[in-house]
Amino acid sequence: MSKQILAIINREYATRAKTKGFIIGTILFPLILVLIFSGIFISGKFFQPSTRTYYIIDQSDLIYDEFVKFQSGTLDTGEPKYNFIRKHVTASDLDSTLESFQIRVRNKEINGYLFIPEDVVESKEVKYSARNVSDFEEQESFSRTLSWIVTNTKLEAKGYSSSDIRDVMNQGRVSLVSHQITDKGEIQKSGVSSYILTYILTYVMFLMTMIYGQITMRSVIEEKSQRITEGIVSSVKPMELMFGKILGVCGLGLTQLVIFGGFMLAAVTFAEPLFKSFGVTAPDFLNIIRQVHFTAPVFVFMIIYFILGFIFYASLYAALGAMVNSEDEGQQFQTPMIMLLVFAYFIMFTVARNPETTRALWASLIPPFTPLVMFARVSVSDPSLPSGAIISIFTMLGSTALVIWLVAKIYRVGILMYGKKPSLKEALKWIRYK
Amino acid sequence: MNVLEVENINKSFGQFKAVQDVSFSIQEGVIFGLLGPNGAGKTTTIRMIMNIIIQDSGRIAILGNSDVKHSTRFIGYLPEERGMYRKMKVDKLLYFQAKLKSMAKEDAGKAIDLWLDRVGLSDWKKKKIEELSKGMQQKIQFISTVLHQPKLLILDEPFGGLDPINQNLIKEILLDLKARGTTIIFSTHVMESAEKLCEEIFLINQGQKVLYGRLHDIKQGLGKHNIYIEYDGDDAFLKSDQIQKYDNYGNAVEIQLKADGNAQKILKDAMQAATIRKFEIKEPSLNEIFIESVQAADTGGSPS
Repeated sequence: MSKQILAIINREYATRAKTKGFIIGTILFPLILVLIFSGIFISGKFFQPSTRTYYIIDQSDLIYDEFVKFQSGTLDTGEPKYNFIRKHVTASDLDSTLESFQIRVRNKEINGYLFIPEDVVESKEVKYSARNVSDFEEQESFSRTLSWIVTNTKLEAKGYSSSDIRDVMNQGRVSLVSHQITDKGEIQKSGVSSYILTYILTYVMFLMTMIYGQITMRSVIEEKSQRITEGIVSSVKPMELMFGKILGVCGLGLTQLVIFGGFMLAAVTFAEPLFKSFGVTAPDFLNIIRQVHFTAPVFVFMIIYFILGFIFYASLYAALGAMVNSEDEGQQFQTPMIMLLVFAYFIMFTVARNPETTRALWASLIPPFTPLVMFARVSVSDPSLPSGAIISIFTMLGSTALVIWLVAKIYRVGILMYGKKPSLKEALKWIRYK
Repeated sequence: MNVLEVENINKSFGQFKAVQDVSFSIQEGVIFGLLGPNGAGKTTTIRMIMNIIIQDSGRIAILGNSDVKHSTRFIGYLPEERGMYRKMKVDKLLYFQAKLKSMAKEDAGKAIDLWLDRVGLSDWKKKKIEELSKGMQQKIQFISTVLHQPKLLILDEPFGGLDPINQNLIKEILLDLKARGTTIIFSTHVMESAEKLCEEIFLINQGQKVLYGRLHDIKQGLGKHNIYIEYDGDDAFLKSDQIQKYDNYGNAVEIQLKADGNAQKILKDAMQAATIRKFEIKEPSLNEIFIESVQAADTGGSPS
């Protein structure tokens, strides 16, 4: 590569990387990530849950013992999760007792109370009163336990022994554990999270390809509208200028991608062990992260497909920039590129769910779609590689070279044409100019 | 050796013939005027020299080398359509330009300081281009074309938008560069500045040559051979065989020379008999030549 191209790459990169906008945009995402995790860390460290105290009025006399047995879990600190205190009341005292409970809740002496009516087996309703009723995990758990006990009671009434019931109920519980079959054997992986991750990553690629493509276009338009081009192309060939420009902006996108991806990889890999080593309970929220299979190979493929896709689309954007005279005009005529990208994104949705069909393979080998579609297949298939992944890198390289070659001819003529925007027909004629 | 040789170059854009059969050559240290009205083909010709566009036919050689690709770094080019990256700082921009001309960083740094000092913009080195006035920007642009000590300097309308003081500054720099052996092509449609600077001219109109040669020869060739003398004393010198006819006012005379008449001879004769207060060879101005030639070419005739 000539020194001149390096100078152009360097200028494109340095003048943009040093702007406030880029710096803020680039560190904002990692910063938010760090803030979220330190928030979890701090809240985990300082707001450890403590034993909760509930009063229970069990007028049916059927529930209390079983209920306490089921809710006998302990906290990470070793203390019991709940402290249930049974209260007996007569019908005449009920109202005044409940009132006194409410005062105790308000005074934060207890967390709440459960009122189990005498006819609970028929009415199937238990009153749960607490200062805070937003902890639906707890409510779910209470509700499940109560349902279980009521069901048991009903079955017992029909003559089944309680031990039989327990055995059958426990044996009957089925959980679905998703496994992915890969070349290296089976691995346990959550289906949903792997798709969501793929959608997110492809969306990031989609956005970055578009945004950095537009930056390339604006860079061409700036040189054209400020009449800078002629001075530059008297020193370097237009093709070199275009290529240097694309590579410089590509480097800018890569910087951002590597910082984002690197942080995400670090978060996925290190957040949980780090929390554990400090004795902080990983909140359930982290279960999601635990299921995110954002691995180094996926990240590497993301970078490869971003580079290939970016160069492909940025060349088209550069040609568009050379054909128009102002940014407004450029924005107006970028529809074909955006349509291609949006189309690729739609195809990706279907393909990510059925990555190994023949159609999926072909769709992912069509050059304008490859960066998003093939990457999505790579991401959902990880750790095995989908068919055609390696071939696609070469088809992409070949078609990008072809696009650059064609587009450079339009670019070469366009950058020195001022005035009316040419029609596509005229622009195609430029390709034939000597 | 000729710094630049242009032989029978042609360039068409579709049906439009931008340059037809243009040939000229320029020797070292000459200021060469590439003159013509707007749209005559000046910029197209320069772009072909700069290898920005490729001629359909014909040959261009720079410093004897017709592989123009490799010679562009010996050339400094100030295009007519010129602008700079507005957000860049002056020194960064000049470094960038120097790098495009394959200059080493150290040499570039020295040259940048030297030139900024020369045009009086040293204090603006760290300022962004957009903070500079238009005149300052023009000077920075000029510097960026001469930083790498080009052997050939091509200036397309260099004085456009410059105030008289800066015009003078640039003119002095050009003469200085010429004295150090730089060849300069000066493209303009403003004849007054060309007349004072250029030794040779190529006048182009509608893509074709109208006039080409040493400015002095052209003026002589086109001149009406008129002399105006104010004198005291004997008017016997008017009987010279160099003279076609004259109009004598007593102490001033207008003389029309014969086609091959020699004005210097008449001056010598006149000085022997009379006291000469004023002696003027009335050459046509370049502006007159320009207008006459272009008009003649446009109507299909030849310049008178």
